[in-house]
Amino acid sequence: MKRLVIVLALVLSFMFAASVASAGKIEDVKKAGVLVCGVKDSVNLFGFVDAETKELVGFDVDICKAIAAKLGVKPEFKVVTSKNRIPMLVQGSVDMLAATMTHKFSRDEQIDFSITYFMDGQKLLVKKGGGINSAADLANKKVGTVKGSTSEKNIKKAQPKAQVISYDEYPQAFMALKQGKVKAVTTDSGILAGLKASDDNPEKWDIVGEFIASEPYGLGVPSNDSAFRDFVNKSLNEMWLDGTYQKLFKKWMGYDLPEGWTIELWPM
Amino acid sequence: MEYTFHWARMFSGEPAQWMWDGFVTTLQISFIALICSMLLGIIICVMRMTPFKPLQWLSLAYTEFFRNTPLLVQIFFWYNASHFVIPASINEWMNDLYYWFPGPFSMFGHEFVGEWMLLNVEFITGTIALTVYTSAFIAEEIRAGIFSIPKNQLEASRAVGLSFLQGYRFVILPQALRIVIPPLISQALNLIKNSSLCMVIGVGEMMFQATQIESYHAIPFEAFSVALLIYMTISLFVSFCITMYNKHFMIQVRY
Repeated sequence: MKRLVIVLALVLSFMFAASVASAGKIEDVKKAGVLVCGVKDSVNLFGFVDAETKELVGFDVDICKAIAAKLGVKPEFKVVTSKNRIPMLVQGSVDMLAATMTHKFSRDEQIDFSITYFMDGQKLLVKKGGGINSAADLANKKVGTVKGSTSEKNIKKAQPKAQVISYDEYPQAFMALKQGKVKAVTTDSGILAGLKASDDNPEKWDIVGEFIASEPYGLGVPSNDSAFRDFVNKSLNEMWLDGTYQKLFKKWMGYDLPEGWTIELWPM
Repeated sequence: MEYTFHWARMFSGEPAQWMWDGFVTTLQISFIALICSMLLGIIICVMRMTPFKPLQWLSLAYTEFFRNTPLLVQIFFWYNASHFVIPASINEWMNDLYYWFPGPFSMFGHEFVGEWMLLNVEFITGTIALTVYTSAFIAEEIRAGIFSIPKNQLEASRAVGLSFLQGYRFVILPQALRIVIPPLISQALNLIKNSSLCMVIGVGEMMFQATQIESYHAIPFEAFSVALLIYMTISLFVSFCITMYNKHFMIQVRY
Protein backbone atom coordinates (compact mmCIF):
# COMPACT_ATOMS: atom_id res chain seq x y z
CA MET A 1 0.00 0.00 0.00
CA LYS A 2 2.77 2.39 0.96
CA ARG A 3 4.60 1.70 -2.27
CA LEU A 4 1.40 2.29 -4.23
CA VAL A 5 0.99 5.68 -2.61
CA ILE A 6 4.56 6.63 -3.49
CA VAL A 7 4.11 5.54 -7.10
CA LEU A 8 0.85 7.46 -7.40
CA ALA A 9 2.42 10.54 -5.87
CA LEU A 10 5.28 10.34 -8.36
CA VAL A 11 2.91 9.99 -11.30
CA LEU A 12 0.79 12.91 -10.16
CA SER A 13 3.81 15.12 -9.57
CA PHE A 14 4.97 14.41 -13.12
CA MET A 15 1.55 15.30 -14.42
CA PHE A 16 1.25 18.61 -12.65
CA ALA A 17 4.83 19.76 -12.31
CA ALA A 18 5.13 21.05 -15.85
CA SER A 19 5.31 24.80 -15.60
CA VAL A 20 7.20 27.11 -17.90
CA ALA A 21 7.96 30.72 -17.23
CA SER A 22 7.80 32.96 -20.29
CA ALA A 23 8.61 36.54 -21.15
CA GLY A 24 6.33 38.62 -23.36
CA LYS A 25 4.93 36.93 -26.43
CA ILE A 26 6.31 39.55 -28.83
CA GLU A 27 9.90 38.94 -27.67
CA ASP A 28 9.36 35.18 -27.76
CA VAL A 29 8.00 35.28 -31.30
CA LYS A 30 10.73 37.62 -32.55
CA LYS A 31 13.41 35.44 -30.97
CA ALA A 32 11.97 32.30 -32.58
CA GLY A 33 11.53 34.08 -35.90
CA VAL A 34 8.13 32.47 -36.47
CA LEU A 35 4.59 33.24 -35.44
CA VAL A 36 2.82 29.93 -34.87
CA CYS A 37 -0.85 30.32 -35.79
CA GLY A 38 -3.58 27.85 -34.98
CA VAL A 39 -5.93 27.65 -37.95
CA LYS A 40 -8.58 25.20 -39.10
CA ASP A 41 -8.03 22.98 -42.11
CA SER A 42 -11.56 21.95 -42.97
CA VAL A 43 -13.56 25.16 -42.91
CA ASN A 44 -14.05 26.34 -46.46
CA LEU A 45 -13.19 30.02 -47.08
CA PHE A 46 -11.61 30.47 -43.62
CA GLY A 47 -8.98 27.78 -43.26
CA PHE A 48 -8.85 24.88 -45.69
CA VAL A 49 -6.49 22.92 -47.89
CA ASP A 50 -6.45 24.13 -51.47
CA ALA A 51 -7.22 21.21 -53.75
CA GLU A 52 -4.58 22.18 -56.31
CA THR A 53 -1.64 23.54 -54.33
CA LYS A 54 -2.26 21.33 -51.27
CA GLU A 55 -1.56 24.33 -49.08
CA LEU A 56 -3.50 25.82 -46.21
CA VAL A 57 -5.34 28.87 -47.47
CA GLY A 58 -8.28 30.99 -46.42
CA PHE A 59 -9.31 34.24 -44.76
CA ASP A 60 -7.96 33.25 -41.33
CA VAL A 61 -4.69 32.10 -42.88
CA ASP A 62 -4.23 35.42 -44.67
CA ILE A 63 -4.95 37.38 -41.49
CA CYS A 64 -2.18 35.40 -39.78
CA LYS A 65 0.22 36.07 -42.64
CA ALA A 66 -0.50 39.80 -42.45
CA ILE A 67 0.11 39.95 -38.70
CA ALA A 68 3.30 37.90 -38.99
CA ALA A 69 4.50 40.30 -41.69
CA LYS A 70 3.87 43.23 -39.36
CA LEU A 71 5.96 41.49 -36.68
CA GLY A 72 8.68 40.86 -39.26
CA VAL A 73 8.63 37.08 -38.75
CA LYS A 74 7.60 34.09 -40.81
CA PRO A 75 4.12 32.63 -40.28
CA GLU A 76 3.83 28.96 -39.37
CA PHE A 77 0.51 27.12 -39.27
CA LYS A 78 -0.73 24.43 -36.96
CA VAL A 79 -4.08 22.79 -37.54
CA VAL A 80 -6.51 23.08 -34.62
CA THR A 81 -10.09 21.94 -34.06
CA SER A 82 -12.93 23.54 -32.16
CA LYS A 83 -12.20 21.22 -29.28
CA ASN A 84 -8.45 21.56 -28.86
CA ARG A 85 -7.78 25.14 -29.94
CA ILE A 86 -8.09 26.76 -26.50
CA PRO A 87 -5.94 24.16 -24.69
CA MET A 88 -3.32 24.47 -27.44
CA LEU A 89 -3.11 28.22 -26.96
CA VAL A 90 -3.02 27.86 -23.18
CA GLN A 91 -0.21 25.31 -23.40
CA GLY A 92 1.73 27.56 -25.77
CA SER A 93 1.68 25.13 -28.71
CA VAL A 94 0.42 28.04 -30.80
CA ASP A 95 1.02 31.78 -30.36
CA MET A 96 -2.28 32.95 -31.79
CA LEU A 97 -5.59 31.46 -32.89
CA ALA A 98 -7.38 32.44 -36.08
CA ALA A 99 -9.83 29.58 -36.11
CA THR A 100 -13.36 30.88 -36.70
CA MET A 101 -13.63 31.36 -32.96
CA THR A 102 -16.50 33.30 -31.43
CA HIS A 103 -15.52 35.73 -28.71
CA LYS A 104 -17.32 34.74 -25.52
CA PHE A 105 -16.82 35.93 -21.98
CA SER A 106 -16.66 32.35 -20.73
CA ARG A 107 -13.68 31.82 -23.02
CA ASP A 108 -12.01 34.93 -21.61
CA GLU A 109 -11.27 32.99 -18.45
CA GLN A 110 -8.56 31.03 -20.22
CA ILE A 111 -7.40 33.20 -23.09
CA ASP A 112 -7.71 36.77 -24.33
CA PHE A 113 -9.26 37.98 -27.56
CA SER A 114 -8.48 40.64 -30.09
CA ILE A 115 -11.18 42.99 -31.33
CA THR A 116 -13.85 41.39 -33.51
CA TYR A 117 -12.31 40.76 -36.92
CA PHE A 118 -15.30 39.08 -38.54
CA MET A 119 -18.99 39.32 -37.80
CA ASP A 120 -21.09 36.31 -38.54
CA GLY A 121 -24.40 34.80 -37.51
CA GLN A 122 -25.74 31.31 -37.07
CA LYS A 123 -28.09 29.85 -39.69
CA LEU A 124 -29.28 26.49 -40.97
CA LEU A 125 -28.07 24.50 -43.95
CA VAL A 126 -30.86 22.25 -45.23
CA LYS A 127 -31.86 20.27 -48.28
CA LYS A 128 -33.74 22.45 -50.74
CA GLY A 129 -37.47 21.77 -50.51
CA GLY A 130 -37.11 19.69 -47.35
CA GLY A 131 -39.71 21.73 -45.50
CA ILE A 132 -37.38 23.23 -42.92
CA ASN A 133 -37.23 27.00 -43.01
CA SER A 134 -36.37 28.05 -39.48
CA ALA A 135 -35.31 26.75 -36.10
CA ALA A 136 -39.00 26.32 -35.22
CA ASP A 137 -39.33 23.55 -37.82
CA LEU A 138 -36.61 21.53 -36.11
CA ALA A 139 -38.76 20.24 -33.24
CA ASN A 140 -38.15 16.50 -32.81
CA LYS A 141 -35.75 16.49 -35.74
CA LYS A 142 -32.07 15.72 -35.73
CA VAL A 143 -29.65 18.61 -36.20
CA GLY A 144 -25.92 18.29 -36.80
CA THR A 145 -23.38 20.61 -35.16
CA VAL A 146 -19.76 20.45 -34.11
CA LYS A 147 -18.62 19.59 -30.62
CA GLY A 148 -17.63 22.53 -28.49
CA SER A 149 -18.97 25.18 -30.86
CA THR A 150 -21.19 28.05 -29.83
CA SER A 151 -23.74 26.97 -32.43
CA GLU A 152 -24.26 23.75 -30.50
CA LYS A 153 -25.20 25.66 -27.40
CA ASN A 154 -27.33 28.20 -29.25
CA ILE A 155 -29.45 25.71 -31.14
CA LYS A 156 -30.27 23.94 -27.88
CA LYS A 157 -31.50 27.28 -26.56
CA ALA A 158 -33.32 28.34 -29.72
CA GLN A 159 -35.05 24.99 -30.18
CA PRO A 160 -34.94 22.86 -27.00
CA LYS A 161 -36.87 20.10 -28.75
CA ALA A 162 -34.26 19.61 -31.47
CA GLN A 163 -32.23 16.40 -31.26
CA VAL A 164 -28.69 17.66 -31.44
CA ILE A 165 -25.94 15.37 -32.75
CA SER A 166 -22.42 16.72 -32.39
CA TYR A 167 -19.62 15.72 -34.73
CA ASP A 168 -15.91 16.38 -34.76
CA GLU A 169 -15.75 18.53 -37.87
CA TYR A 170 -18.13 20.33 -40.24
CA PRO A 171 -17.62 18.13 -43.32
CA GLN A 172 -18.71 15.16 -41.23
CA ALA A 173 -21.90 16.97 -40.22
CA PHE A 174 -22.52 17.85 -43.88
CA MET A 175 -21.98 14.20 -44.84
CA ALA A 176 -24.60 13.20 -42.27
CA LEU A 177 -26.97 15.76 -43.79
CA LYS A 178 -26.37 14.34 -47.26
CA GLN A 179 -27.16 10.85 -45.99
CA GLY A 180 -30.27 12.03 -44.19
CA LYS A 181 -28.91 11.22 -40.74
CA VAL A 182 -29.62 14.81 -39.72
CA LYS A 183 -32.18 17.16 -41.21
CA ALA A 184 -30.09 20.31 -40.89
CA VAL A 185 -26.59 21.51 -40.10
CA THR A 186 -26.36 24.65 -38.04
CA THR A 187 -23.43 26.98 -37.57
CA ASP A 188 -22.13 30.37 -38.72
CA SER A 189 -23.41 31.27 -42.16
CA GLY A 190 -19.88 31.86 -43.48
CA ILE A 191 -18.95 28.27 -42.71
CA LEU A 192 -22.25 27.00 -44.12
CA ALA A 193 -21.60 28.89 -47.38
CA GLY A 194 -18.24 27.13 -47.56
CA LEU A 195 -19.84 23.73 -46.99
CA LYS A 196 -22.47 24.39 -49.59
CA ALA A 197 -19.84 25.45 -52.13
CA SER A 198 -17.85 22.29 -51.46
CA ASP A 199 -20.64 20.04 -52.75
CA ASP A 200 -20.76 18.92 -56.37
CA ASN A 201 -24.28 20.29 -56.70
CA PRO A 202 -24.46 23.39 -54.49
CA GLU A 203 -27.91 24.25 -55.78
CA LYS A 204 -29.35 21.24 -53.91
CA TRP A 205 -28.77 22.96 -50.57
CA ASP A 206 -30.21 26.07 -48.98
CA ILE A 207 -29.06 28.33 -46.18
CA VAL A 208 -32.21 29.36 -44.34
CA GLY A 209 -33.52 30.99 -41.19
CA GLU A 210 -33.03 34.15 -39.23
CA PHE A 211 -29.76 34.62 -37.40
CA ILE A 212 -30.12 32.26 -34.42
CA ALA A 213 -27.31 34.11 -32.70
CA SER A 214 -24.63 36.57 -33.75
CA GLU A 215 -21.11 35.27 -33.75
CA PRO A 216 -18.37 37.86 -33.42
CA TYR A 217 -15.08 36.21 -34.34
CA GLY A 218 -11.97 37.21 -32.41
CA LEU A 219 -8.35 36.21 -32.69
CA GLY A 220 -7.30 34.19 -29.66
CA VAL A 221 -4.19 35.45 -27.89
CA PRO A 222 -2.52 34.23 -24.67
CA SER A 223 -4.01 35.43 -21.42
CA ASN A 224 -2.42 38.34 -19.53
CA ASP A 225 -0.12 39.56 -22.29
CA SER A 226 -1.48 42.98 -23.09
CA ALA A 227 1.53 44.03 -25.20
CA PHE A 228 0.85 41.23 -27.67
CA ARG A 229 -2.90 41.79 -27.70
CA ASP A 230 -2.43 45.52 -28.27
CA PHE A 231 -0.12 44.73 -31.16
CA VAL A 232 -2.67 42.39 -32.75
CA ASN A 233 -5.47 44.95 -32.34
CA LYS A 234 -3.33 47.68 -33.82
CA SER A 235 -2.39 45.46 -36.75
CA LEU A 236 -6.06 44.75 -37.47
CA ASN A 237 -6.83 48.48 -37.35
CA GLU A 238 -3.97 49.22 -39.72
CA MET A 239 -5.16 46.49 -42.08
CA TRP A 240 -8.60 48.08 -42.15
CA LEU A 241 -7.23 51.58 -42.72
CA ASP A 242 -4.92 50.66 -45.59
CA GLY A 243 -7.58 48.53 -47.27
CA THR A 244 -5.89 45.14 -46.86
CA TYR A 245 -8.78 43.87 -44.80
CA GLN A 246 -11.40 44.82 -47.37
CA LYS A 247 -9.34 43.20 -50.11
CA LEU A 248 -9.01 39.96 -48.17
CA PHE A 249 -12.71 39.92 -47.38
CA LYS A 250 -13.65 40.35 -51.04
CA LYS A 251 -11.07 37.75 -52.08
CA TRP A 252 -12.46 35.00 -49.89
CA MET A 253 -16.13 35.76 -49.29
CA GLY A 254 -16.72 36.83 -52.87
CA TYR A 255 -18.86 39.83 -51.90
CA ASP A 256 -18.19 43.30 -50.53
CA LEU A 257 -18.38 43.97 -46.82
CA PRO A 258 -21.94 44.26 -45.49
CA GLU A 259 -23.06 47.89 -45.45
CA GLY A 260 -22.43 49.67 -42.20
CA TRP A 261 -20.21 47.08 -40.60
CA THR A 262 -16.74 48.11 -39.57
CA ILE A 263 -14.28 46.54 -37.22
CA GLU A 264 -13.78 48.45 -34.01
CA LEU A 265 -11.51 51.34 -34.98
CA TRP A 266 -9.52 53.14 -32.33
CA PRO A 267 -7.73 56.45 -32.97
CA MET A 268 -4.01 55.91 -33.49
CA MET B 1 1.93 27.45 -17.92
CA GLU B 2 -0.25 28.45 -15.03
CA TYR B 3 -3.38 26.52 -14.29
CA THR B 4 -5.76 26.78 -11.37
CA PHE B 5 -7.78 23.68 -10.60
CA HIS B 6 -11.48 24.14 -10.02
CA TRP B 7 -12.58 20.78 -8.72
CA ALA B 8 -15.79 22.13 -7.20
CA ARG B 9 -17.07 23.13 -10.64
CA MET B 10 -16.51 19.60 -11.89
CA PHE B 11 -18.73 18.04 -9.24
CA SER B 12 -21.75 20.31 -9.45
CA GLY B 13 -24.31 21.47 -11.94
CA GLU B 14 -23.92 20.83 -15.65
CA PRO B 15 -20.47 19.15 -15.70
CA ALA B 16 -21.51 16.61 -13.08
CA GLN B 17 -24.74 15.89 -14.94
CA TRP B 18 -22.94 15.48 -18.27
CA MET B 19 -20.29 13.27 -16.76
CA TRP B 20 -22.96 11.07 -15.22
CA ASP B 21 -24.80 10.82 -18.57
CA GLY B 22 -21.56 9.88 -20.25
CA PHE B 23 -20.76 7.29 -17.61
CA VAL B 24 -24.18 5.66 -18.03
CA THR B 25 -23.88 5.65 -21.84
CA THR B 26 -20.41 4.12 -21.65
CA LEU B 27 -21.72 1.36 -19.40
CA GLN B 28 -24.70 0.73 -21.71
CA ILE B 29 -22.72 0.56 -24.91
CA SER B 30 -19.98 -1.57 -23.31
CA PHE B 31 -22.42 -3.97 -21.71
CA ILE B 32 -24.50 -4.55 -24.85
CA ALA B 33 -21.43 -4.84 -27.07
CA LEU B 34 -19.73 -7.22 -24.62
CA ILE B 35 -22.65 -9.65 -24.46
CA CYS B 36 -23.20 -9.56 -28.23
CA SER B 37 -19.53 -9.92 -29.07
CA MET B 38 -19.18 -12.93 -26.73
CA LEU B 39 -22.06 -14.71 -28.47
CA LEU B 40 -20.91 -13.69 -31.93
CA GLY B 41 -17.32 -14.66 -31.10
CA ILE B 42 -18.38 -18.15 -30.04
CA ILE B 43 -20.42 -18.59 -33.22
CA ILE B 44 -17.55 -17.43 -35.43
CA CYS B 45 -15.15 -19.69 -33.61
CA VAL B 46 -17.36 -22.79 -33.89
CA MET B 47 -17.81 -22.00 -37.58
CA ARG B 48 -14.05 -22.14 -37.93
CA MET B 49 -14.03 -25.55 -36.23
CA THR B 50 -16.69 -27.18 -38.40
CA PRO B 51 -15.52 -29.76 -40.93
CA PHE B 52 -17.49 -27.82 -43.59
CA LYS B 53 -14.94 -25.85 -45.67
CA PRO B 54 -16.97 -22.80 -46.87
CA LEU B 55 -17.97 -22.02 -43.27
CA GLN B 56 -14.30 -22.17 -42.29
CA TRP B 57 -13.37 -19.73 -45.04
CA LEU B 58 -16.17 -17.38 -44.09
CA SER B 59 -15.05 -17.38 -40.49
CA LEU B 60 -11.40 -16.91 -41.44
CA ALA B 61 -12.26 -13.97 -43.70
CA TYR B 62 -14.38 -12.41 -40.94
CA THR B 63 -11.70 -12.62 -38.26
CA GLU B 64 -8.87 -11.47 -40.48
CA PHE B 65 -10.84 -8.57 -41.93
CA PHE B 66 -12.15 -7.16 -38.66
CA ARG B 67 -9.02 -7.91 -36.65
CA ASN B 68 -6.71 -6.16 -39.08
CA THR B 69 -8.51 -2.87 -39.66
CA PRO B 70 -8.53 0.02 -37.19
CA LEU B 71 -11.63 0.34 -35.07
CA LEU B 72 -11.97 4.02 -35.92
CA VAL B 73 -12.18 3.19 -39.63
CA GLN B 74 -14.76 0.52 -38.86
CA ILE B 75 -16.88 2.95 -36.87
CA PHE B 76 -16.93 5.37 -39.78
CA PHE B 77 -17.59 2.46 -42.11
CA TRP B 78 -20.66 1.32 -40.22
CA TYR B 79 -21.90 4.85 -39.77
CA ASN B 80 -21.33 6.37 -43.21
CA ALA B 81 -20.61 3.64 -45.72
CA SER B 82 -23.42 1.37 -44.55
CA HIS B 83 -25.70 4.00 -46.07
CA PHE B 84 -24.98 2.57 -49.51
CA VAL B 85 -25.65 -1.05 -48.56
CA ILE B 86 -28.76 -0.92 -46.39
CA PRO B 87 -32.14 -0.66 -48.19
CA ALA B 88 -33.51 2.88 -48.31
CA SER B 89 -36.59 2.18 -46.18
CA ILE B 90 -34.55 0.77 -43.29
CA ASN B 91 -32.10 3.62 -43.69
CA GLU B 92 -34.82 6.23 -43.36
CA TRP B 93 -36.27 4.54 -40.32
CA MET B 94 -32.85 4.26 -38.70
CA ASN B 95 -31.91 7.86 -39.48
CA ASP B 96 -35.07 9.26 -37.92
CA LEU B 97 -34.84 6.97 -34.91
CA TYR B 98 -34.43 8.91 -31.69
CA TYR B 99 -36.04 6.84 -28.98
CA TRP B 100 -35.52 6.95 -25.27
CA PHE B 101 -35.72 3.40 -23.94
CA PRO B 102 -37.98 2.29 -22.28
CA GLY B 103 -40.16 5.39 -22.70
CA PRO B 104 -42.66 6.82 -20.23
CA PHE B 105 -44.30 4.22 -17.97
CA SER B 106 -46.03 4.10 -14.61
CA MET B 107 -45.29 1.70 -11.80
CA PHE B 108 -46.43 1.62 -8.16
CA GLY B 109 -48.54 4.70 -8.84
CA HIS B 110 -45.52 6.71 -9.99
CA GLU B 111 -45.08 8.19 -13.43
CA PHE B 112 -41.58 7.62 -14.77
CA VAL B 113 -40.05 9.59 -17.63
CA GLY B 114 -38.17 6.46 -18.61
CA GLU B 115 -35.29 8.20 -20.36
CA TRP B 116 -32.68 5.59 -19.58
CA MET B 117 -31.10 4.72 -22.85
CA LEU B 118 -31.04 6.77 -26.03
CA LEU B 119 -31.49 4.60 -29.11
CA ASN B 120 -30.50 6.34 -32.33
CA VAL B 121 -28.52 5.46 -35.42
CA GLU B 122 -25.30 6.72 -33.81
CA PHE B 123 -25.67 4.50 -30.76
CA ILE B 124 -26.65 1.46 -32.81
CA THR B 125 -23.88 1.71 -35.41
CA GLY B 126 -21.35 2.41 -32.66
CA THR B 127 -22.44 -0.71 -30.81
CA ILE B 128 -22.33 -2.79 -33.99
CA ALA B 129 -18.81 -1.62 -34.79
CA LEU B 130 -17.58 -2.40 -31.27
CA THR B 131 -19.32 -5.78 -31.28
CA VAL B 132 -17.96 -6.91 -34.63
CA TYR B 133 -14.44 -5.70 -33.90
CA THR B 134 -14.23 -7.33 -30.48
CA SER B 135 -15.92 -10.56 -31.58
CA ALA B 136 -13.10 -11.19 -34.07
CA PHE B 137 -10.57 -11.10 -31.23
CA ILE B 138 -12.77 -13.17 -28.94
CA ALA B 139 -13.21 -15.82 -31.62
CA GLU B 140 -9.47 -16.16 -31.99
CA GLU B 141 -8.97 -16.44 -28.26
CA ILE B 142 -11.63 -19.08 -27.81
CA ARG B 143 -10.09 -20.98 -30.69
CA ALA B 144 -6.77 -20.94 -28.86
CA GLY B 145 -8.61 -22.26 -25.81
CA ILE B 146 -10.20 -25.05 -27.83
CA PHE B 147 -6.82 -26.07 -29.20
CA SER B 148 -5.61 -26.55 -25.65
CA ILE B 149 -8.27 -29.26 -25.10
CA PRO B 150 -6.95 -32.60 -26.35
CA LYS B 151 -8.50 -33.44 -29.69
CA ASN B 152 -9.47 -36.95 -28.63
CA GLN B 153 -12.11 -35.50 -26.28
CA LEU B 154 -14.16 -34.43 -29.28
CA GLU B 155 -13.60 -37.79 -30.88
CA ALA B 156 -14.68 -39.48 -27.67
CA SER B 157 -17.81 -37.35 -27.51
CA ARG B 158 -18.67 -38.33 -31.07
CA ALA B 159 -18.06 -41.97 -30.11
CA VAL B 160 -20.60 -41.84 -27.27
CA GLY B 161 -23.20 -40.56 -29.70
CA LEU B 162 -23.14 -36.74 -29.34
CA SER B 163 -23.47 -34.72 -32.51
CA PHE B 164 -20.75 -32.26 -33.54
CA LEU B 165 -22.52 -29.27 -32.00
CA GLN B 166 -23.47 -31.24 -28.88
CA GLY B 167 -19.86 -32.29 -28.48
CA TYR B 168 -18.85 -28.62 -28.48
CA ARG B 169 -21.74 -27.57 -26.27
CA PHE B 170 -21.27 -30.19 -23.53
CA VAL B 171 -17.63 -31.23 -23.70
CA ILE B 172 -15.28 -28.80 -25.39
CA LEU B 173 -16.69 -25.28 -24.77
CA PRO B 174 -17.22 -25.68 -20.99
CA GLN B 175 -13.55 -26.47 -20.60
CA ALA B 176 -12.21 -24.12 -23.27
CA LEU B 177 -14.17 -21.09 -22.01
CA ARG B 178 -12.73 -21.58 -18.51
CA ILE B 179 -9.22 -21.59 -19.88
CA VAL B 180 -9.72 -18.43 -21.90
CA ILE B 181 -11.20 -16.39 -19.07
CA PRO B 182 -7.98 -14.39 -18.41
CA PRO B 183 -7.51 -13.31 -22.04
CA LEU B 184 -11.24 -12.60 -22.30
CA ILE B 185 -10.94 -10.21 -19.35
CA SER B 186 -8.42 -8.17 -21.27
CA GLN B 187 -10.75 -8.18 -24.29
CA ALA B 188 -13.59 -6.91 -22.10
CA LEU B 189 -11.35 -4.15 -20.75
CA ASN B 190 -10.24 -3.25 -24.26
CA LEU B 191 -13.85 -3.03 -25.31
CA ILE B 192 -14.75 -0.66 -22.49
CA LYS B 193 -11.85 1.60 -23.37
CA ASN B 194 -12.49 1.32 -27.12
CA SER B 195 -16.05 2.50 -26.58
CA SER B 196 -14.57 5.99 -26.19
CA LEU B 197 -13.93 6.04 -29.96
CA CYS B 198 -17.68 6.16 -30.57
CA MET B 199 -17.52 9.86 -29.72
CA VAL B 200 -16.49 10.60 -33.32
CA ILE B 201 -19.98 9.80 -34.60
CA GLY B 202 -21.68 11.75 -31.86
CA VAL B 203 -22.45 9.06 -29.28
CA GLY B 204 -22.61 10.89 -25.96
CA GLU B 205 -20.33 8.60 -23.99
CA MET B 206 -17.81 9.61 -21.36
CA MET B 207 -14.99 10.97 -23.54
CA PHE B 208 -17.54 12.91 -25.57
CA GLN B 209 -18.86 14.50 -22.41
CA ALA B 210 -15.36 15.20 -21.12
CA THR B 211 -14.54 17.13 -24.29
CA GLN B 212 -17.87 18.95 -23.99
CA ILE B 213 -17.05 19.97 -20.43
CA GLU B 214 -13.62 21.04 -21.62
CA SER B 215 -15.01 23.37 -24.24
CA TYR B 216 -18.02 24.73 -22.39
CA HIS B 217 -16.66 25.09 -18.88
CA ALA B 218 -12.95 25.49 -19.59
CA ILE B 219 -11.88 22.89 -17.05
CA PRO B 220 -10.06 20.40 -19.29
CA PHE B 221 -7.68 18.90 -16.75
CA GLU B 222 -10.43 18.28 -14.23
CA ALA B 223 -12.73 16.73 -16.84
CA PHE B 224 -10.11 14.39 -18.26
CA SER B 225 -8.76 13.43 -14.83
CA VAL B 226 -12.24 12.43 -13.75
CA ALA B 227 -12.83 10.51 -16.99
CA LEU B 228 -9.50 8.74 -16.54
CA LEU B 229 -10.33 7.77 -12.98
CA ILE B 230 -13.78 6.51 -13.94
CA TYR B 231 -12.39 4.38 -16.79
CA MET B 232 -9.81 2.99 -14.42
CA THR B 233 -12.43 2.25 -11.79
CA ILE B 234 -14.74 0.47 -14.26
CA SER B 235 -11.86 -1.61 -15.60
CA LEU B 236 -10.51 -2.53 -12.18
CA PHE B 237 -14.00 -3.40 -10.99
CA VAL B 238 -14.68 -5.63 -13.98
CA SER B 239 -11.40 -7.50 -13.71
CA PHE B 240 -11.84 -7.82 -9.94
CA CYS B 241 -15.31 -9.35 -10.37
CA ILE B 242 -14.20 -11.84 -12.98
CA THR B 243 -11.12 -12.82 -10.98
CA MET B 244 -13.28 -13.39 -7.93
CA TYR B 245 -15.70 -15.47 -9.98
CA ASN B 246 -12.75 -17.38 -11.31
CA LYS B 247 -11.37 -18.13 -7.88
CA HIS B 248 -14.58 -19.28 -6.24
CA PHE B 249 -16.56 -20.96 -8.96
CA MET B 250 -14.09 -22.25 -11.46
CA ILE B 251 -13.82 -26.01 -11.57
CA GLN B 252 -10.17 -26.84 -11.91
CA VAL B 253 -9.34 -28.41 -15.24
CA ARG B 254 -6.96 -31.30 -14.79
CA TYR B 255 -5.75 -33.83 -17.21
